[in-house]
Amino acid sequence: MKGESVEIAGYTTLPLLLPETRTFPKTATHYLYLRPHEPRIPDPDSSRSLFVVNIPIDTTETHLRHLFGAQLSAGRVERVHFEDVPTKKHSSEAATEGNLSHRNKKRKRITADDLQSTLDSITLPSTWDRQLQKSGAHAIVVFADKPSMESSLKAAAKSGKRGPKIIWGDGIPEDRIPELGSHRYSSHERMRYPDRATLLRTVNEYMTAFAEVSEARKREEMKKTQEPDEDGFVTVTHGPKLNSVAREDEVKDLIEKQKKKNAGLEDFYRFQSREKRKARQNELLRRFDEDKRKLRDIKDRRGKIRPE
Amino acid sequence: MSEHTVKRRKLSPLPEDAAPPAMQSKPSTDGTAQRKDGHSTKANAGNRAKDERSAELAMASGFYKSSFFKLQMDELLSGLRPNYESRVSKLQETLHKVKDAIESLPEKPPKHISEAEKELRSANGVVVPWPEPRPGKETKYTMSYTKPTNINVVGSLALRTGARTAETRAVDLAVTMPSSLFQEKDFVNYRYFHKRAYYVACLAAGIQESMVSLGFEIKFGMQDGDSLRPLILLESRDGKEKTAQPPIRIITAIEPTLFPITKTLPTKSNIRQGSSADNSEIREPSPFYNATLRSEATVSLFHKAVHSATQKCESFRDACILARTWLQQRGFHTSFQGGGFGGFEWAALMSLLFEGGGPTGQPVLMRSYSSYQIFKATMQFLAGRDLMSPLLLFSGDLSLPQGEGPILYDGRRGLNILYKMTAWSYATLRREAATTLKMLNESREDNFDKVFILKVDEPTLKFDRLVTFPKSFNGDTLRALREQNALYKVLSRALGDRAKLISFSSHCADTWSIRSKSLIKKASETLSVGLLLDAENASRVVDHGPSAEEKDEAASFRSFWGEKAELRRFKDGSILESLVWSEQPSEKSIVHQILAYILLRHFKMSESDFEFIGDEYDEKLRSQGGGIVAYSSPPFQMINDAFNDLESSIRNMDEVPLDVRHLAPASPLLRYTALRVQSSGGVAHEAADIVLQFESSARWPDDFTAIQMTKVAFLIKIGDSLESAGTATSCRVGLENESSKVLNNAYLDILHTSGFLFRLRIHHDREQTLLERQLKDKTLSPREREGIAYALFSYKKLFTQAPRLTQAIRSLCTRFPLLSPTIRLLKLWFSSHLFSAQINDELIELLATRAFMQPNPWDCPSSVMTGFLRTLHSLARWDWQQEPFIVDLGGDLDPDVTETIRTRFSAWRNIDPAMNTVALFVASDMDPDGVTWTQYEKPSKVVAARMSTLAKAAMSVVRKNSSDFDVSDLFQTSLAPYDFIIHIHPKVLGERSGAVSKFKNLADTGSARAGKMAAIESFVHDVQACYSQGILLFHGDEHCSVIAGLWNPQTLKPKSWNLKTAYSTAPASSATSKDCVTINRPAIINEIARLGDAFVEKIETHGTSEEQ
Repeated sequence: MKGESVEIAGYTTLPLLLPETRTFPKTATHYLYLRPHEPRIPDPDSSRSLFVVNIPIDTTETHLRHLFGAQLSAGRVERVHFEDVPTKKHSSEAATEGNLSHRNKKRKRITADDLQSTLDSITLPSTWDRQLQKSGAHAIVVFADKPSMESSLKAAAKSGKRGPKIIWGDGIPEDRIPELGSHRYSSHERMRYPDRATLLRTVNEYMTAFAEVSEARKREEMKKTQEPDEDGFVTVTHGPKLNSVAREDEVKDLIEKQKKKNAGLEDFYRFQSREKRKARQNELLRRFDEDKRKLRDIKDRRGKIRPE
Repeated sequence: MSEHTVKRRKLSPLPEDAAPPAMQSKPSTDGTAQRKDGHSTKANAGNRAKDERSAELAMASGFYKSSFFKLQMDELLSGLRPNYESRVSKLQETLHKVKDAIESLPEKPPKHISEAEKELRSANGVVVPWPEPRPGKETKYTMSYTKPTNINVVGSLALRTGARTAETRAVDLAVTMPSSLFQEKDFVNYRYFHKRAYYVACLAAGIQESMVSLGFEIKFGMQDGDSLRPLILLESRDGKEKTAQPPIRIITAIEPTLFPITKTLPTKSNIRQGSSADNSEIREPSPFYNATLRSEATVSLFHKAVHSATQKCESFRDACILARTWLQQRGFHTSFQGGGFGGFEWAALMSLLFEGGGPTGQPVLMRSYSSYQIFKATMQFLAGRDLMSPLLLFSGDLSLPQGEGPILYDGRRGLNILYKMTAWSYATLRREAATTLKMLNESREDNFDKVFILKVDEPTLKFDRLVTFPKSFNGDTLRALREQNALYKVLSRALGDRAKLISFSSHCADTWSIRSKSLIKKASETLSVGLLLDAENASRVVDHGPSAEEKDEAASFRSFWGEKAELRRFKDGSILESLVWSEQPSEKSIVHQILAYILLRHFKMSESDFEFIGDEYDEKLRSQGGGIVAYSSPPFQMINDAFNDLESSIRNMDEVPLDVRHLAPASPLLRYTALRVQSSGGVAHEAADIVLQFESSARWPDDFTAIQMTKVAFLIKIGDSLESAGTATSCRVGLENESSKVLNNAYLDILHTSGFLFRLRIHHDREQTLLERQLKDKTLSPREREGIAYALFSYKKLFTQAPRLTQAIRSLCTRFPLLSPTIRLLKLWFSSHLFSAQINDELIELLATRAFMQPNPWDCPSSVMTGFLRTLHSLARWDWQQEPFIVDLGGDLDPDVTETIRTRFSAWRNIDPAMNTVALFVASDMDPDGVTWTQYEKPSKVVAARMSTLAKAAMSVVRKNSSDFDVSDLFQTSLAPYDFIIHIHPKVLGERSGAVSKFKNLADTGSARAGKMAAIESFVHDVQACYSQGILLFHGDEHCSVIAGLWNPQTLKPKSWNLKTAYSTAPASSATSKDCVTINRPAIINEIARLGDAFVEKIETHGTSEEQ
């Protein structure tokens, strides 16, 4: 494989040497696929970004910085976006918010949205010291500028031609990234149980922020009821606002009640019992046909019916 | 067609004594009703009138549970009806030739025995097959041969009552011996049988040459396994080939009037050892001998009786086929060793029941019955009427005392047609009949498979314990009968109410060449005894005998038990003879102890003289399951006590603002089904899940994250409160799924003062409503929708189904004492085959429960062996791609629920025909969804198929039942089928958990084991998450130090590359197609090695992965 630079579907391949490990004494080659980032909707950063596919599962930002900065020594990496790290949190949040109308939100929500984003930033502590990537996943590496992206791509192609020379993760100072293996799992065991104070603080912060957000929301609602919209209409709202969940429960109860009321009245008219009988007969016919079909199926599957 | 089906329903709830004449009047009314309905069907649905027959059947099906049973039965019958035309035409010529050969034999003048015997041997080389005892030298009577009175084909071929079976059935040719050969007193002292043996030998000698030229091999055998009655067997030399002639049996008969019926009544004694024949009054009656003799005289009589029954009732032959199938599946045969109740006896019984047998003498069967009705009514008769108290038909004022076996005496023909049955075979038959009747009456399932298709007669599935006696009980039928009766009496007295059934079975003696001596003397048959135990009583430690004051009983008790019997005073002041058995785990099971003791005492048999099967499964569970067998063992009780204590303290918490509605256990540890409760150090093994639900409150927020945060706040509060109350040594809040907003995020680990660890989660029922509402939201992206659906699924599993299942299994475990050990052994089986990561505990529990809740066609298991093996058997038979597995957990499984479950199942198969998320479908009346424990590839179809294969392999090993079979073989892990194997470093694991305890002083309380397990699980989870499509990982429980992996075979081929390829790839080396990539297996293994690091000892790869 040495000496040839392979391109796959327009991607430059970059072979990486995986050193043998104690447990699996065999070297292996990993292949990265690179190309300039060309998203459907370009953003200002995309021109200086590289789209990297098939990253190893233990890839961290440090790894990629080291790869492009030190090992290929071609460009400074500004940041890395990994696949599966949610970036569009906001839209999903809005969806979970429920019934609030979008139009109003856009106009008035500056304060409430601000609060919302602080609310979103308060999360429970993570229980892992290092995230893993899915096999075959991709990442977007944003370089400091366009030239360093281009030269990195070139350096990668060149290195690919020479065959796998670059050792993955070689030379990264050990204290830069958390260890894998038993260390990873023991620290996970530990981090699963954050100490009481941290938890309490997080919860308190969150609940305070949450209360503020709901307060802000409520205020806006109030305002909305008083102000006419663009067409000069005032939305009329009624009394104590039940939240929608409670309303659903109520509707369910109502249906139940109606059912109970109707119980025992099914055979009141003659046509009712006649229809019932008809339905039962049709049902029997249907079931009989079904049985026949079932038998045919069984015969097809197991052959003749005979004792074992 | 529909007439009898209508009546069938009338029949089904028929109590035993309901009057059949009442049924006779039914057809007319039912007929009109049916006509009317048929008419209305046509009028109402004109378009439906196309298929009259289907409409009719559909109507009929309305009167009983399902027409499916009938459809299947028709199918079965049409497959089993032999083609008599072709069989007869094939045989006719041969039979004629045999007949001619016999008729042309020359007569032999009367000779003295030794002379006659010598002549046969020297002239023809034939050894006379004398029964035991052979005639003495001084015998006065003479032997002679004259031409038979007639030669007839009898039995199932002539009557056309046979069923098609795997092995070809023999054709019976009855040779009626002329009455002139016999004297008046020939019915005593084997004289008839000696003459008969000589006659048979003469026949064999005379026809041997002509038979050899016809392509037959001529042999002696025993008729119905009865050594008194040797017969000639003609076997085709072509062996098992299709063209081969079926074997022909030449049996003998005598004129019905040769000996008076009164001489062969079951009460008469015809074996008189002394020379004087006068004092017969005081001698023991010889019912078996008498009946054997009488049966020779009734060959033609029964032939006629059955024939007339077939003429009178057109469905009689079909009923015979059903009966034969049923008998065959349960291992009943005509021969004395096979239970003494076969197709012939059944047919004879049915022909009798057309004439009588009812409680007031009225017929049990009607001529207008359908085959199914005849079958079922006969079954009802067998199950209902206890024939141990004799039933006499057409016999005037004759009265018979209770004998050792059942008696159904046909006075007209003078024979007890059940004469070959023994007390035990009759008990077995009645038990089977009762079970079958129950199955036929059950409206829940149609049970067709279990009545006719399933092979019920598998000793290891049928019986809780098996005892085999390799030597002893030789082939002489009368002696064997005597000895077995003695053994039976001793065993049934010794086991008492510990055993529900004791059943003997042995094999029929083989055939032997006419030129060699009979095998009777040499034949050492193994006798196998099957025990059905009573789960409640089988392991009782102390047996109470009679009180010391009842002198006679006490003496008999003492003489039976010998020095084992001891006099004891009990708590209630009574002084009783009693027996005390050892319940030390080092000892064998109590049943085994009893058998060993009593066999030695009464039969001088030491432990090496018999083999005892069944205890090994208990042993295996004890050694692997932390020394626990019964659910009532101390560890289970301790953890339950700890839970109860915890519950009361949680209910009494003052600091928490909401009232507790419910604290539900939701863990195998709290429902007696965890394989191990404590690990070796005597500390808590794993955290036991519990679910806390508060009284509902309007103050909970409606936002997912806020709910989770509120839960955390509550958990902290509860923890503080429990610590300060002193119930818990320590409490800490743990996080899970912290990256998800909709899944449960936090739990509280409570270390109870007893050392048990509980994991508490808060159940908030508003979450479900919120999630369901979210799912209805049309604006969600598919991915979000999936996330919500998963959250709803895991909510239901965690908070609804797990507590519900725990409740159900808990109560079932106390109801069926063997359920808990069965489940635990099954868990061991699954974990030793590395299924722990793939198959949920709950799934295993459901699989095992069905063997107890729906035990048909057997009884509810009363031993670990039957419970375990029957579960494997049902797994092996389960066609999981096409069938849902339905468990009756709460006893509420009715046809409607079954219907719902089946509908859900087919819906799943429609949505997901490739079975990507749901492979197994296991539903119960409590969980008709059926996917709670199996959705999201738990297990995937590959694993499901592997489970099925392993279960099948296990069953075939068990069936072979070879002597060197060891139970551990079933639990042997084979690593060969896997592509790569990750060995976990045992030492590193040990050090690692030590390190944890340094960091957290909590951990030194012993969660090391749990930590180890959690670490392995996290590792497996990590790897599986990284390579979701590419590889499949298998591992067992914490005793298992390997993780085995399989490559997804679909990834092995080079593929054109795209962004969705979810595994590490390398450019394909071949230049065939430019953009092709292959899976980069060395790199993946390298990645796993890096991820595992010190955690892993080494990684082995097999086969394909090495080549790159």
